[in-house]
Amino acid sequence: MEPSGLAFLGAGLGAGLVALGAGLGIGRLAGPAMEASARQPEALGEIRTSMIIAAALIEGVALFGLVICIILAFK
Amino acid sequence: MIFRRLQLLFVLMIAIAIVLPTSSAARSMQDHEAAQDAPVSDEREADEHVEEGDHEEEPAKFDAVHHNSDAYYLDFSPMPKLELPRIFVVRRADGEIGVDFFGSTHAAVEAGYVAEIEEGSHGGILDAHIVAGSGKILVDMSISKHLFFAWLSMLIVLGAYLPIAGRYKKGIGRDTAPKGRFHNLLESLVLFVRDDIVRPSIGPKADKYVPYLLTVFLFVVTCNLIGLFPFGATATANIMVTAVLAIMTFIYTMFAGTKDYWKHIFWPPGIPILVKPILIPVEILGLFTKPFALAIRLFANMTAGHLVILSLIGLIFSFADLFGPAVGFGVVPISVAFALFIFLLEILVAIIQAYVFTMLSALFIGMAAVEHEHHEDHGHDAEGSLATVEAGS
Repeated sequence: MEPSGLAFLGAGLGAGLVALGAGLGIGRLAGPAMEASARQPEALGEIRTSMIIAAALIEGVALFGLVICIILAFK
Repeated sequence: MIFRRLQLLFVLMIAIAIVLPTSSAARSMQDHEAAQDAPVSDEREADEHVEEGDHEEEPAKFDAVHHNSDAYYLDFSPMPKLELPRIFVVRRADGEIGVDFFGSTHAAVEAGYVAEIEEGSHGGILDAHIVAGSGKILVDMSISKHLFFAWLSMLIVLGAYLPIAGRYKKGIGRDTAPKGRFHNLLESLVLFVRDDIVRPSIGPKADKYVPYLLTVFLFVVTCNLIGLFPFGATATANIMVTAVLAIMTFIYTMFAGTKDYWKHIFWPPGIPILVKPILIPVEILGLFTKPFALAIRLFANMTAGHLVILSLIGLIFSFADLFGPAVGFGVVPISVAFALFIFLLEILVAIIQAYVFTMLSALFIGMAAVEHEHHEDHGHDAEGSLATVEAGS
């Protein structure tokens, strides 16, 4: 197999794994946040804010992975 | 009043005007060094022909990535393309540095510039890399598609909000209730940004940062939504536009930083001395990864949605190519239904991403601007003061 073909394969697999990881992470975060805000609707604002912070951090790491995949696919 | 600072838009406009063409120059330099890969998707769109004479015979290719990337024309297909002005800062053959201005790419080529059409590319002069006939292009300051739409959305925001700002100065809306539907509509956005985003995340000093964050929110949401109009382009689907916005947030964070904030980064308190060499570089890195992630997030979200829509539409042509036209027609309803669904999702994403960008900018500024230590509990203060009051009485 050509090396560039392997690079594309790696980029595709990497993008998939990144999506999987980010999905799992944000899913684990959003589910309990939903439950918590259902239990305590008055704390909705605070829960949402801290959820977005954590989601942003998870997404940040995922985006770094994605950038590497993009570099791999286009170089 | 907060609207006075909409002037920030002008600063943004200038910053983007400088960075965007420079980036395209850098990119074209890269193109120059390494021959670019062939277009990524090869769906064929048989009924769209390229205007240029030398490519009349072969059908134009439908390239989703190319459609989203920056260009030097406005695409009104099937109507002719509208070319944008090209401005080159050029070092001429005699070593003199000058500025060349052309109304269009074709005018530039007629005046002696050379269009390097890539081998196997389907575009004509418009998509080609332009080099100087004699001498060297130092900076390509051309007005590009994304720059045009960034300016357009700035004009829309200014046009909508400057009259409103004038009314606030006169007292309408400040001393009385806002008058008129338009005023009420726009004020709801302003209050949303101030009361739901900025004040909860920054705290007591929030109002100082409302102008900037409001400007960012309105600019990003306008850019995002303009890309969903026919013939429109999303300026925020360009990494340079989002990078400029993120750098602005970074600068604001730098200036908002209190003594405590810097202390937490360069000498984190309450941590064993041996852990500090590990933690300090991580903290310093974290300073830069935050705006970086901010830029990439907006860019990736805005690009991905458009790519998905175009890929779904492209499926029609892929299927028609593989199994014949009948199957292609059969796929049309499914493709269009999915594309419509994604399009509606895109409207949602456009607003959510503007919200997220503003929210995170506000949070980063808020983190830097906090006066007290994080682990201090306000409850203790209250108890303490209560105890003093009791002791005093």
